Amino acid sequence: MTLSKDTSMLGRGVKRKWSCLEELEAEGLPDAAEEKQQSASDESAESGDEAGLLPPRSDMSHLQQRQLVLGLCLEKLQRYQAGMELSLRRSVLLINTLRQIQEEMRSDGVGTCTSDVLLNGVHPDSCLLRDDFREEDMPVTCPGCAEGDAESLSPPLSPEFPSPEAAGDQQKPPPAATVSTFSDAVNAMGYLSDLALDDIFEDIDTSMYETSDLPSAWSAGSLWPVSVSLWPDEDVKMRPGSHSSAGSLQSCLTDLNELDHIMEILVKS
Amino acid sequence: MLSPIQVLCSDITTLSLEPEPFASYTEADIISTVEFNHTGELLATGDKGGRVVIFQREPESKTEPFSQGEYNVYSTFQSHEPEFDYLKSLEIEEKINKIRWLPQQNAAHFLLSTNDKTIKLWKVSERDKRPEGYNLKDEEGRIKDISTVTSLQVPVLKPMDLMVEVSPRRVFANAHTYHVNSISVNSDYETYMSADDLRINLWHLDITDRSFNIVDIKPANMEDLTEVITAAEFHPHHCNLFVYSSSKGTLRLCDMREAALCDKHSKLFEEPEDPSARSFFSEIISSVSDVKFSHSGRYLLTRDYLTAKVWDLNMESKPLETYQVHDYLRSKLCSLYENDCIFDKFECAWNGSDSVIMTGAYNNFFRMFDRNTKRDVTLEASRESSKPRAVLKPRRVCAAGGKRRKDDISVDSLDFTKKILHTAWHPNENIIAIAATNNLYIFQDKLNSEMH
Repeated sequence: MTLSKDTSMLGRGVKRKWSCLEELEAEGLPDAAEEKQQSASDESAESGDEAGLLPPRSDMSHLQQRQLVLGLCLEKLQRYQAGMELSLRRSVLLINTLRQIQEEMRSDGVGTCTSDVLLNGVHPDSCLLRDDFREEDMPVTCPGCAEGDAESLSPPLSPEFPSPEAAGDQQKPPPAATVSTFSDAVNAMGYLSDLALDDIFEDIDTSMYETSDLPSAWSAGSLWPVSVSLWPDEDVKMRPGSHSSAGSLQSCLTDLNELDHIMEILVKS
Repeated sequence: MLSPIQVLCSDITTLSLEPEPFASYTEADIISTVEFNHTGELLATGDKGGRVVIFQREPESKTEPFSQGEYNVYSTFQSHEPEFDYLKSLEIEEKINKIRWLPQQNAAHFLLSTNDKTIKLWKVSERDKRPEGYNLKDEEGRIKDISTVTSLQVPVLKPMDLMVEVSPRRVFANAHTYHVNSISVNSDYETYMSADDLRINLWHLDITDRSFNIVDIKPANMEDLTEVITAAEFHPHHCNLFVYSSSKGTLRLCDMREAALCDKHSKLFEEPEDPSARSFFSEIISSVSDVKFSHSGRYLLTRDYLTAKVWDLNMESKPLETYQVHDYLRSKLCSLYENDCIFDKFECAWNGSDSVIMTGAYNNFFRMFDRNTKRDVTLEASRESSKPRAVLKPRRVCAAGGKRRKDDISVDSLDFTKKILHTAWHPNENIIAIAATNNLYIFQDKLNSEMH
């Protein structure tokens, strides 16, 4: 049985690196510290705190750990899409952890993400659990339609994220990877229901948003707390930007609602 | 009981193809379950390749005192084959998740083995005689020429070399949408239950086309799912009681007399969470991986990621005893989450008198806790330290940076690929079976064979 590097990270008698969390805590790398300082100070700015003080070290580590756990969570959930089967127990535990992090991030008071639409769309768990373990009496629906009542924009939105070139221009590569990973995961959950259906779904999504400059506005940081903390500069820049593009946002919202409607019809037929 | 443990068996690696210590083994050889039968005479192991190997204890003989009590291979058979679910495009693993023996009622032995979806009842019987002296067939089975038959004889049973025959008697299929994690035979010896992630079914051993659903925790909307069933077991004496554990660290005792569907528990065992210890991993490490009733039926033993807990059935608010199995991992949870080790499911076991509990850990270590003396010991199951008749040396793990004695292992040097997930204790004697990846170790307490 060959073991990948990932699983045998701790070999016998060999000192291996632990997670970057512990590394950074122990060594206090200047780069990471700086990044976290920026993100921390930006977060406090976001929440309206004018003090601009650095949070205590334990908070920085907590944020860092949260980020790491979040990334790992998404990566593990996404691995499922690569064909590796995940037990229901593990999926549930991962999703609960994800929810816990989400809750924490929301309650941290990250300001711009107030739109119900935006937060509502982030429901990876629903797709994963419902669609994957489909039973005899469960209708095959696409994530978007199933959540149609909640006006979810997640499924239509997510396909545009895997285009890091749009998002990546203005972002640092690691953060973009995180967001796109999450969106990929969210998007990929849909695959669990019915591959054929999702192929159609994918096509429609891509064609809708190819030429729109929506991606940059959405991914700028207004979608999710993650981006706010990771792209402090861009966020300051983008906030006015997202306001000014409200008009285009509005039209896109309408389009997305229409899309939902179309998908409902397709599924029911 | 925690006096020196001696290595009992010489032929300890019966599943790997090559005897060299560092030879590679196939993944199919990984042992996935270990179980003694009710007398301890037989020991069954299941592996990832769907095979079951049964060991039998050699009867003690006065002439060769040192070969007494050793376990040798009794029978090997293929229990489950890999299947493919065409509807969901998923492969159904042939890995044996659990084996449970039925109490012996005649000369044959019966056991239940299960993979993720199908439970099978196997009959294991011996044949040591065969009929000889047929009239129409000769000894090789060829038809005799009738004209050569001058007189009739009655066939007689003559002894032959012992042959162990295994045959599937029942196949209990298509009752589980999710993966079966536990099976448990009821004390009425007529029924048994099988539990998957969301449901528990009650079967009659003779009826394969029907089962009763007694627990169903599947929410109407799967989006609301936050908890799954992780293990289930019948009470050893009361055929109406059973317990099941969840991924949130709760135990539910249910009484089948109360209702047909036991969704409402009779008792809920849950330890209140310590708010100061809350982390991102709190829930994951609280997930119960195994639950076992004590032989007396008075206590429950549960295992979560870092601890083993003994619960009194009469006290739901908190466990009676909590044993730290490897608390030195508490500060390493993030890394263990990263490499998925935090999801490992360790089993636990009682000794016959319920005075000692045992469970596995990493680096091929396993731990035993004496409930009365409060002493505990860490031992290693490995070829290097397990020469036959050798006495096992207690091991110690020291925290990183802590005071280190000779032979101590530092936390950072632990091998997390060597995990002891499955252990079993002989029902009457101080003999334990430890599954370390593809190897089976059987250890005995030579000094104190009797249980106290």
